[in-house]
Amino acid sequence: MAAEPLTVALAGNPNVGKSTIFNALTGSYQQVGNWPGKTVEKKEGWVSIDGQRVAIVDLPGTYSLAAYSVEEIIARDFILNERPGIVVAVVDAANLERNLYLVCQILELGLPVIVALNMSDTARSRGVEIDVQKLSQQLNGTAVIETVGNRGIGIDTLKAAITRAQTARRQPSVLDYGDVIEAEIDQLQARIEADPVLAHQYRARWLAVKLLETDDDLRAHLEQMGHQPLVKSADEAIARVTASLGDDPETLITDRRYQFIGQAVGAAVTRPSQMAETPSDRADRIITHRLWGVPIFLLLMWIVFQFTANVSAPFVDWVDGVVTGPIAQWAAALLGAVGVSDTWLESLLLDGVIAGVGGVLVFVPVLLFLYLGIGLLEDSGYMARAAFVMDRVMRVIGLHGKSFLPLLIGFGCTVPAVYATRTLENERDRRVTGFLATFMSCGARLPVYVVFGAAFFGAQAGNLIFGLYLLGIGVALVTGLVMKRALYRSAPPQPFVMELPPYRMPDARTVGRQMWERTRGFVQRAFTVILGCSVAIWLLLAVPRSLNPGEFNTVEPQDSLFGSISGALAPVFAPAGFGTWEATGSLVTGGIAKEVIISTMNQVYALDAEEDASASETPTTFVEDMGSVAQSFGQAVILTGQEIVNIVPRTVNIIPGINLPEADFLGAGEASEDTSALNTMLTRAFTPLAAVAFTVFILLYVPCMAATAAMRHEFGSRWMLYQLGYTAVIAWVAAVVVYQGGLLLGIGGA
Amino acid sequence: MAATLRQVLNHFEQQSGAVSLSRMARDLELEPSMLQEMINYWVRKGRLRQVCDSACTTCSGAQGCPFVYALPVVYELVTAPAETAPTACAESAPVPACSRCH
Repeated sequence: MAAEPLTVALAGNPNVGKSTIFNALTGSYQQVGNWPGKTVEKKEGWVSIDGQRVAIVDLPGTYSLAAYSVEEIIARDFILNERPGIVVAVVDAANLERNLYLVCQILELGLPVIVALNMSDTARSRGVEIDVQKLSQQLNGTAVIETVGNRGIGIDTLKAAITRAQTARRQPSVLDYGDVIEAEIDQLQARIEADPVLAHQYRARWLAVKLLETDDDLRAHLEQMGHQPLVKSADEAIARVTASLGDDPETLITDRRYQFIGQAVGAAVTRPSQMAETPSDRADRIITHRLWGVPIFLLLMWIVFQFTANVSAPFVDWVDGVVTGPIAQWAAALLGAVGVSDTWLESLLLDGVIAGVGGVLVFVPVLLFLYLGIGLLEDSGYMARAAFVMDRVMRVIGLHGKSFLPLLIGFGCTVPAVYATRTLENERDRRVTGFLATFMSCGARLPVYVVFGAAFFGAQAGNLIFGLYLLGIGVALVTGLVMKRALYRSAPPQPFVMELPPYRMPDARTVGRQMWERTRGFVQRAFTVILGCSVAIWLLLAVPRSLNPGEFNTVEPQDSLFGSISGALAPVFAPAGFGTWEATGSLVTGGIAKEVIISTMNQVYALDAEEDASASETPTTFVEDMGSVAQSFGQAVILTGQEIVNIVPRTVNIIPGINLPEADFLGAGEASEDTSALNTMLTRAFTPLAAVAFTVFILLYVPCMAATAAMRHEFGSRWMLYQLGYTAVIAWVAAVVVYQGGLLLGIGGA
Repeated sequence: MAATLRQVLNHFEQQSGAVSLSRMARDLELEPSMLQEMINYWVRKGRLRQVCDSACTTCSGAQGCPFVYALPVVYELVTAPAETAPTACAESAPVPACSRCH
C-alpha cells in the first residue's frame, strides 16, 4: 500500500554540501526553477523510500531563519507555510558552531528534524571527532546521521531515518531563556493561542520568541493582518526585558542559543582546540609585537629594496646593452638600407622612439623584482600584518590602521590607492589618506631611483631606494600630523579586529602571475604614453626656438623649443643643485607619467652622449651581435645569482661589528660595473648630492596625470589643487634642504 | 562560562588599537568560529561594521586590477552614522576603472 506523499525540506548554511545530498537522494529526478517572484533558484526532486513517494525540496542556503536576506525569508516561509513533513538540516561537520545555530532555530519550529552531519570525512581528517549519540541527546533526541554526500556515504541511513521520523514522537526543542524572558514568552504565547488564525498558522511559542527578537518581516506581516495590538504588546515586553536585564531580548535570546550550541558541541565533539596557539600565532607574537613589529616591517622593506635594486641590476644592464647596442645598430642599418640614413626620420626612430621607449623598457626587470618581493610578502600572509603593525603609527596622525591599506597599494600605483580610500567610511580619513597616498613612491618612480642609485652609489643603490621610500612614509606621516593639528580635530580612530590569515609558503604560480600582471601595465604604457611623449619630446627638441625650418633637427638641444622652455624654468631648481634645462625638462614631462622622466632623460642626455658613443663604435656582424647578447645574458644570470646570495651578508652586515664577505662570482667589481650611456652622462651632469636632491624631488613632487584625475574624481577640484600645490612646494623645499644642507655639511657636493 | 555577546562587544570597545581575531578569541575563551558568529551578529545589528576584504571592491575594474592586494577582513565599531562613504562596500557606487591599467 502506497503511503501518503511526504515533503522533505533540505535546509542548511551555504556551502555545506546540501546539493550533493539532494543529488544523492533524488538522482536524476529533479526539476530546477525559481522561487515564486524571486530570482533565487528552487530545486525539487523525487525519490521513493520504502514505496512512499517523497518530494525533496532544496531550500536556499541560509545562516539563520531571521529575515535578513531573501534566502532566509524564502527558507522560513517555506517551512512555516508549506509545513514539510520533515526538515533535514544539513550541517558541515567541521564547522558545527556556525551550522548549529540554524539547526537550533529549526528545532524551535517544532517540526521533525534530522541532522545530516555532512562532510564528516573532512572533519575527521582535521582531527574533529563527533560522538553522534551524544550530539543527538544534546539536540533533544534529534536523529543525527553522518553523511559524505559526494560519495553517497550515509544516504541509505538518511533514507531510513526519514521513514522513522514520520512515526517518531516528536518533542519540540524548548530552550529556557530565563525567568524574565520566559514570563514574557508565556504572556505573548497566551495571546497568540487565543487567536485561532494565528494559532493555526504559527507555533505560538515560536512566534512569541520571534516577536521578542524584533523580527521586522514577521512584525510587518502581523500588522498587515491587523494584529497591531499583539505587536504593541511585544514592544512593551521588549521594553520590560531591556529595563529588567539591561540588554535587549534579541541579544539575550541569541546568547542563550550560543550557550546551548556551546554546551552541545562541548559534550559531543573532541578536537584539537582552536584556542591553542598555532605556529602562525606564535610567529605573530614577534612579527606583530608592539615594539618589534615596526622594525621588522622596515627590515623586510629594506630587504625588498635591496633585492629590487641589486638583484635586478645585471638584467637591467643586459636589457640596456641589447637596446642601445644590437637593436639600435640593427635599426640604424635597416634605415640605412632603405636610404633614410642621416635624416630626421632616423633621428626620430633612434633618438626618439628607441631612446625613449627602449630606455624605459630597460627597467622592466626592476619592476619584476619589486613585484616579486612584494608578492612573496603578500602571498606568505605578511602584508595583512603590515596594516596591523602600522595601526599604532597611523594613530599618531589620527588615522586608522586601515588607512595604511590604501597607502600600501600606493607603492604599486597611486591611482588605485586613491580609489581604495573608499573603504574608509569617514570623509576626513578618506581625504587625508588620499592626500598621503601620493607620497608613497609608486612603481613608476622606481626606475629613476635605480638609474641614479646605480650611477652614483653602485652596490649601495638599495640603501638609497630604501631611504627614499622611508622618506616618503615620513613626509606622509608629518603631513598627516600637520593636517590633524591644523585642519581636523576629531575623536581618536576606533579600534578594529582583523582576521589575520595563517602564514603559508608562497605559491610560485600566484606570485608569478602577480609579478607579470603588475609589470604588464608598465610595459603597455611604454608603447602608449611613453611612445607618444617620446615622439613629442623629440619634436620639441628638433624644432628651434626661432621656428626657422632650416634648422629643424639640426638645432643645438638647448636652443630647441624644449631646451628653451626648460631652460627658462631651470633657475627655479638651481638652489636644489639641478638647475639645468635637461633635468628641468625631465621633471616637467614627468608630470604626465613618471616613467616619462627616464625616457626624456634618455633623449636629452643621449644627444650629448652620441658623439662619445659614435667614436668608440666598431661595426659588428649579426652573428657577433647574437653571440654577444647570449654571452651577456649568461653573465647576467650568474650575477643575479651572486646578488641573491649577497642579500644574506648585506642584511647581516647591518649589525654593527659584523662584516661578512660578499660573493664575487665573476671577479671583483663586476657586479657593480655599469657602463650605460645614461649613467655616464648623469655622473657628468649631477654631483652625488644633486643626484640625491633630484631623487627626493621626484619622490615628493606632483603625481602623474592619471593620479591627479583620480584625486579630482574622488575629492573635487579644490582638494586636487591643494594637493598639487602642496606636493610641488614640499618637494622643492625638501630638495633644497637636502642640497644646501649637504653643502653646508661638506658632503657629496662635487 | 563562555563569553556572551555583550562581552564580545565590550571587548571591542575596550581595545585601544588593532587586535587579531585569534587573539581576541583566546582572550574571551571562545572558539574562533564561535567568536566569528558572535561578531556576525553584531554586524547584523549594526554595532560592528565589516570593512571590505579587498580595498578596491568599489572599482568597476577591480577584477582585473593588478594592484589590489588580498587584504584581511576587518571589523570595527560603529559609533556614529557614516559621514559619506559606504558601510558595506557593495552598496557604494562603482567608480570608473583606473585608466592606467584598463
